[in-house]
Amino acid sequence: MIHRRRHAFVYPGIVVLALALAALIPAQRAAADDPPYFAIKGARIVPVSGPVIEDGTVVIAKGLIAAVGKDVPIPPEAWVIDGKGLTVYPGLIDALSDVGLPSATPAQSAGGAGRGAQPTPATVPAQQTPSRGPEDRPGTTPWLVGADELKPDDKRIEQWRNAGFTTALVAPTRGFFPGQGAVVNLAGERASEMVVKSPATLNVSLQGTGGFGGGFPNSLMGILAYVHQVFVDTAWYAEASAAYEKHPNGANRIPYDRTERVVSGAVRDREPVLVSANSANQIYRALRMAPQWNPRFVLYGVQEGYAAADAIAAAKVPVLVNLRWPERSRDADPDQEDSLRVLRFRDRAPSTPAALAKAGVPFAFYAEGIANPKDIVRNAGKAIAAGLSADAALRAFTLSAAEILGVADRLGSIEPGKIANLVITDGDIFNEKTKVKIVFVDGQRFVVREEERPPQRGPQGPPMGEVQP
Amino acid sequence: MKTTIRLLRIAALLALALAPSARAQEAYAITGAKVYTLAGPPIENATVVIRDGKIVAVGADAKAPAGAKVIDAKGLEIYPGMFDPWSELGLAEVGAVAATVDTTELGEFKPQLVAGTAVNPASAHIPVVRASGITHVLTAPGGGTIAGQATIMNLAGWTMDEMAVRRSAAMVINWPALQPRGGGGGGAAFRARTFTEIKQEYDKRVQELGDWLERARHYAQAAEKGSAAKFDRDLKLEALVPVVEGKLPVLVLARGAREIRDAVNFCEKQKVKMVLADATEAWKVKDLLKQKNIPVILPPTQSLPREEDDPYDRSFTQPAELVAAGVKIAFSSTAYEFARRLSQQAGVAVAYGLPHDEALKAVTLYPAQMFGIDKELGTIEPGKLANLIVTTGDPLELRTEVRYLFIKGQLTSTDNKHRQLWEEYRKRP
Amino acid sequence: MKRNKWILAVACLALSASVAHAQAQSSGVTLVKNATLLTITHGTIENGSILIRNGKIAAVGKDLPAPAGATVIDAAGQYVLPGIIDCHSHIAVEGSVNEGSISVSSMANIADVLDPDDIEIQRDLAGGVTSANILHGSANSIGGQTLVIKLRWGQPASKLPFEGALPGIKFALGENPKRSNSTVLPGTQRRYPATRMGVEDTIREAFTRAMEYKRQWDDYNRRKAAGEQNLIPPRRDLQLEPLVEVLEGKRYVHSHCYRADEILMLIRVANEFGFKVRTFQHVLEGYKVAKEIAAHGAGASTFSDWWAYKMEAFDAIPYNAAIMAQKGVVVSINSDSGEEARHLNQEAAKTMKYGGLSELEALKLVTLNPAIQLGIEKRVGSIDVGKDADLVIYNKHPLSVYAVPQKVLIDGQVYFDREKDAAGRAALDKERKDLIEKEKKAAEAARRRPGQTPPNRTGETPPNPPQPEREGERP
Repeated sequence: MIHRRRHAFVYPGIVVLALALAALIPAQRAAADDPPYFAIKGARIVPVSGPVIEDGTVVIAKGLIAAVGKDVPIPPEAWVIDGKGLTVYPGLIDALSDVGLPSATPAQSAGGAGRGAQPTPATVPAQQTPSRGPEDRPGTTPWLVGADELKPDDKRIEQWRNAGFTTALVAPTRGFFPGQGAVVNLAGERASEMVVKSPATLNVSLQGTGGFGGGFPNSLMGILAYVHQVFVDTAWYAEASAAYEKHPNGANRIPYDRTERVVSGAVRDREPVLVSANSANQIYRALRMAPQWNPRFVLYGVQEGYAAADAIAAAKVPVLVNLRWPERSRDADPDQEDSLRVLRFRDRAPSTPAALAKAGVPFAFYAEGIANPKDIVRNAGKAIAAGLSADAALRAFTLSAAEILGVADRLGSIEPGKIANLVITDGDIFNEKTKVKIVFVDGQRFVVREEERPPQRGPQGPPMGEVQP
Repeated sequence: MKTTIRLLRIAALLALALAPSARAQEAYAITGAKVYTLAGPPIENATVVIRDGKIVAVGADAKAPAGAKVIDAKGLEIYPGMFDPWSELGLAEVGAVAATVDTTELGEFKPQLVAGTAVNPASAHIPVVRASGITHVLTAPGGGTIAGQATIMNLAGWTMDEMAVRRSAAMVINWPALQPRGGGGGGAAFRARTFTEIKQEYDKRVQELGDWLERARHYAQAAEKGSAAKFDRDLKLEALVPVVEGKLPVLVLARGAREIRDAVNFCEKQKVKMVLADATEAWKVKDLLKQKNIPVILPPTQSLPREEDDPYDRSFTQPAELVAAGVKIAFSSTAYEFARRLSQQAGVAVAYGLPHDEALKAVTLYPAQMFGIDKELGTIEPGKLANLIVTTGDPLELRTEVRYLFIKGQLTSTDNKHRQLWEEYRKRP
Repeated sequence: MKRNKWILAVACLALSASVAHAQAQSSGVTLVKNATLLTITHGTIENGSILIRNGKIAAVGKDLPAPAGATVIDAAGQYVLPGIIDCHSHIAVEGSVNEGSISVSSMANIADVLDPDDIEIQRDLAGGVTSANILHGSANSIGGQTLVIKLRWGQPASKLPFEGALPGIKFALGENPKRSNSTVLPGTQRRYPATRMGVEDTIREAFTRAMEYKRQWDDYNRRKAAGEQNLIPPRRDLQLEPLVEVLEGKRYVHSHCYRADEILMLIRVANEFGFKVRTFQHVLEGYKVAKEIAAHGAGASTFSDWWAYKMEAFDAIPYNAAIMAQKGVVVSINSDSGEEARHLNQEAAKTMKYGGLSELEALKLVTLNPAIQLGIEKRVGSIDVGKDADLVIYNKHPLSVYAVPQKVLIDGQVYFDREKDAAGRAALDKERKDLIEKEKKAAEAARRRPGQTPPNRTGETPPNPPQPEREGERP
């Protein structure tokens, strides 16, 4: 990587181009030949795994955290960053995302049962004839892994990083079994450098619409039956394959099925299964059904978790909360009053994290559907306003996410030996005025520059207030 | 057993009524009944005299004229025949079989179409509906913004000419809706329209509707003053002329409060006579309706509330609420296969607060007034057309039976396809 | 008619004041007194009382004293009917009621998708319905699995199922499964079957597979029990499992049907494979083959007076219920509609006019008879000691069009109270207005702050994704 970078200096034209880009892009890797050793000195350090260290030092060596503390020795070769007035946090983790998967972005319009709660046509693109039953494996591509689909040049990677995110679980989005998630760091030239753990999760989406017409399944109950059948098939495949391999002679062989092979592998490897559930009713349903599929599962969505927190806690199931809080549609009929339960939902959704914390449910945050990454932390602020402690919010963005995704042994806190993913700010990360100054990913330094203007508004619509019917 | 005896009695009398409207030149005297004229208080033990299709006398002292057929109706009650002022009767036979459905022509603006043209006088539905005590209906075309002209007809007659009360009774306008129409198909084809899109289309439709009436006004002027040689006849505009001249009411179908308000203002501005129908949210604009004197034909009382947060009994209580506010109402079936539920719709409204006599008038007199046929129909008074029913009791009650039914003074059979199948299959060994 | 149903349903456990009331009253002793009791099984009791203890009817009679601490409901001048049971309903379902993609959708299960927030639960409850048979739609020759619920409005989905009621499966014959009235989407093929011959074939084919599947499992279990080693078990098939349950008598068949010929067809197929049809649903030409239905032992659950909406309903007559009842079939009147369910008492009353049923026979059509059809008659369907205290209190005789339910009890708890419902509306209105105001203020504040993601236009995340109207079940 460094080798490739050095080539840049050989060709002045490219240097000019790089400089031009640097002017356009608000942040970039500071320099190709940054040293592999850094020390951030005299900063406020929030390790998350332990108490805050005022006026402390973090030492980074070759991509890992070498030391952290009040008085730790700074190696002589380290580039020392004066941390006065700065706060150092573990890099934030977006616990379910399609950042880096540009092809996944238009999933909403392109069909396929999208992730989370959005209603999308249940038909799966690329499938010409409608599915006639579970045997056709509709919307089922568990062999797709986020790590393999990763496009390091997706410009959202940098946008996310500039907002303080150093890691994301990236996963395909289309279908009922869209694929497996990979934990990736949000910097790198190639996927191979970025991937932290892959596969990390097996993703299941239960949303879709249906009715007369279309292929199987085209109703929620059909989807549930289908997902159940796949797990039943998978369990059978594991058992039957093992039995056959022991005594193949005289026995009929087990038919090959890619889905069964991949899903049974994921189950065997104890990958958490991510199951979508947003409303309280969906949460209760998932808590009832998912244990039959796989004992290890995680709910995602969970915006009405405030009404089901105790049940989630009792089931000892961790959750990923979508931070894109429900809002009134911008193009809603101005005279149309929403129903009370919709209004209540919108009002109370941000109180979900506080309720989960109170009930003792482990939870992390994700940002699907949020176009501007600055809104991610800002939306977490709404959860804080609704009763969540700032510490708990920070933990949800860092160590809890790492724990739920099975990477807490390498990510999520500022501790020696962990990957040097850090976000350095000029104040409390949940203060709206606070700015991200420097981000470290895998020990590489990225300076975040002031933005002239916020990034392009999301593709969803005109800015608020423009619609004046 | 009781039923059988009763049926035999009815059958004997109905033998008189060989076929609908076979002979109009007959006299009848129905004696001994309690008569709800709806023009005054009920009269006990009264006689109703019918001759030449009309009511000639009503009262406790009315006498059967010589030669009149006398029907002893002791213990029975007499009411004006019910009027369903918004149905599709005769236009559709079997909903799912397109070949039997003539309710909805292609096109958006089709004022020249007349429902009566497509009514099948031999429809199996007509005798079925008649047996429920409905003697005349308005049957309306559907679809588009201007659906066409509705026809008011008696439910007896060999041909439309014999049946028609008003061949052209109203111009039916489907007021555009400011609601996303139901997705229906679901699946991939479904795309929600934005409110901006909906509003644009709404405004465009309303504009177009206004343009049509404007053109009709000019057309009327040109037809009157212009030279015939320079003048091209236009069937659509010609059909709209009575509307803009205020001679033909418009039957405006609008559900939401906003749409109703817009429609009322539109009709006022256009100076056309408006009858509102399908008005699910009329309760929200009852003061306006009272103030502008707009009568309302209600959708079936037994409908689900429009909004999730509406009280569960929203549609049950609306009739009472409108009447209390001084709005004139009528009940309707809106359909062909459910027309016989008309009395049930009125009855439920009584259960939820509507005065009983108002409910009776809302299936008889009031709809007649809305379409200007109350000089002929709607009450039991001398000089009016003899459309009346002789019942075992309150016609709004579920178990009440219609014993005799007169349309245009003719004792008309209440036999129908259903009763025939019943007779046939109950005897199957 | 418009029905907003969001995929992202939002639980609100106390939408109506009556629910809070119900919860406050749990497991106590209640006395309903001074009412006319329409017991169904033992006549009418004037000035009668019902003592309720722990959700069950503890005593029925005249002049029962109120035990100390009992909640007393004085129903003077009012009528008490056993809770109405709707043998054909599609309320309380999240998503489509049809897995319409395939001709045998028996893997789909209504029990998985109960939606306790469906407002139609409350509306039907207010119409006196206390139990309902929640059915999959009729798009398939063999449809999905069904279950009986109680309309315990305000309780979570797990509290809705009628405890101990045998589950069912929906079959459908005729125009709907052969898709006579459906448009074929461009680029897609018509689905088999397209004729009534094909409907029969589809059902026979499925049961042939189910029997083979059962044989495989029986064989496997036998060999395993005999100690055989290295056996590979058959693969579980969620489509065939419920059909095996039908063959084993563990699951009821509720079959949508219209024409006489298809009714006889299913009886023939059931006899061939050795199962019983529990109920024929709609069964609008049942009057033509009432004798055969009675001989098979099936119940018939029909409409009061619907007809002519499609070809197979053109010989439907409102005398259907009466003829079938008079020929020995256990008959009920059902709704198939969240609206129609609100006045099933009225629909039952029509059979007195159409066919001459007695008052008792008419009332049975919506109480005891559907209970028998659903196999829950030991629990509900009449006012008898030991049965669940599922009751409707009307201000007038329920066979009158003027009767309005005043209170509805399930398991002895008041789940609907007309007065309290009316009294609670203002508070709900205020809450709604306050929330709207709060949102407006928040939006105002956000507008002054740059750089935020604008809220989504299409509602791809909650709160309110635009939804097609509930994929209707067709009658």
